[in-house]
Amino acid sequence: MNISELIHEILLEDKTMIKLPFGDGMFDIKASVVHTWIIMAVVFVLILILTSNMKVHNISRRQAAVESFVLFVRGVVKGILGEKADRYTDYICTVLIFLGIANLSGLFGIEPPTMDLNVTVALSLMSIILVEAAGIVEKGVGGWLKSFAAPIAVVLPMNILELFIRPLSLCMRLFGNVLGATVIMELIKGIFAPVLPVPFSLYFDIFDGMIQAYVFVFLTSLYIGEAVE
Amino acid sequence: MFNNVTIMNIVYTIINLLILYFLFRKFLFGRVDKILNKRMEEVDEATKAAELAANEAKETQRQYEQKILLADEEKEQILADIKKQGYDEYERIVSDAKKKGEQILVEAKHNAEVENAKAKEIYAAELTDMVIDAASKIAAGRHSADDDKELYDKFISEAGAKDE
Repeated sequence: MNISELIHEILLEDKTMIKLPFGDGMFDIKASVVHTWIIMAVVFVLILILTSNMKVHNISRRQAAVESFVLFVRGVVKGILGEKADRYTDYICTVLIFLGIANLSGLFGIEPPTMDLNVTVALSLMSIILVEAAGIVEKGVGGWLKSFAAPIAVVLPMNILELFIRPLSLCMRLFGNVLGATVIMELIKGIFAPVLPVPFSLYFDIFDGMIQAYVFVFLTSLYIGEAVE
Repeated sequence: MFNNVTIMNIVYTIINLLILYFLFRKFLFGRVDKILNKRMEEVDEATKAAELAANEAKETQRQYEQKILLADEEKEQILADIKKQGYDEYERIVSDAKKKGEQILVEAKHNAEVENAKAKEIYAAELTDMVIDAASKIAAGRHSADDDKELYDKFISEAGAKDE
């Protein structure tokens, strides 16, 4: 498989997985959405298993692990969000866990949903909506509008541009990193399949995926924290 | 690259995210929070109970200390009372003894006087008998001046012998 074929397969091929008989292809479901469903199902079952039969005393190891995991993730997110934006912790945690699993799903043979722009666009849209909503909830519509001209009126155009730049950069960064990692891994597998991909896979599939999940969540939290300041 | 992007798929993903958020909230965070809150409540309750117990213990200790203090005072009071009672009893006994002694003395004196009087009376009676005896002797016999004198001497010597 040469590079142009690979790029074509990853980027240009139609990723429609389920065709619906109405709406002239408008409602067709892409592979990434189906993969998200698979991930959701797995996560849901895992959560049900892990959180079943939770007790206050004499907790099992499983429960201790779940509790400390939840507290850890929350601690990380809360640290970035700040006290004022505490209430958004659960959503951010959800995104962090979802992105982490999605970016690792390549290891299990599922094409990462985050490699599809539909998913990253949706994620960044949610993020920017949450950021602005947090600003409006905290300051009211008037205060939110005024914050565009803060600290001085000259930055008004910049701040308006930021409204679009932020989600764009969020979505493109995530998409590009996951896509790039996948492309590089495919190339390395093409060069020497048996041993060489292992260390690279550790970096590109696991480390980079985690880092990107964290970066996405970190920036979103930072924006929210900034919006409620 | 962009030919795959459709509004509906973005909407699907957003719905997916919201469902996932709901699932996480309900089944992961919700359940864990429930347990954590319960545990926190229990810890709070235990702390409160411990504080309460400590306060109660302090209160009891204070009461006991007070009681002990009172007991000390009471003890001293009782001791003082007993001492006083003892003194009173002592005084009473001593004064009784004194009184009794005086009474015995008075009685003894009185008895002695009575005895004395009795002895005098006996003596007087004997004297009377003797006089009568002498008088009858004189009356019975012939008598002269010598006889009288002899009689006098006899009487005197008899009385003197009796007196000794």
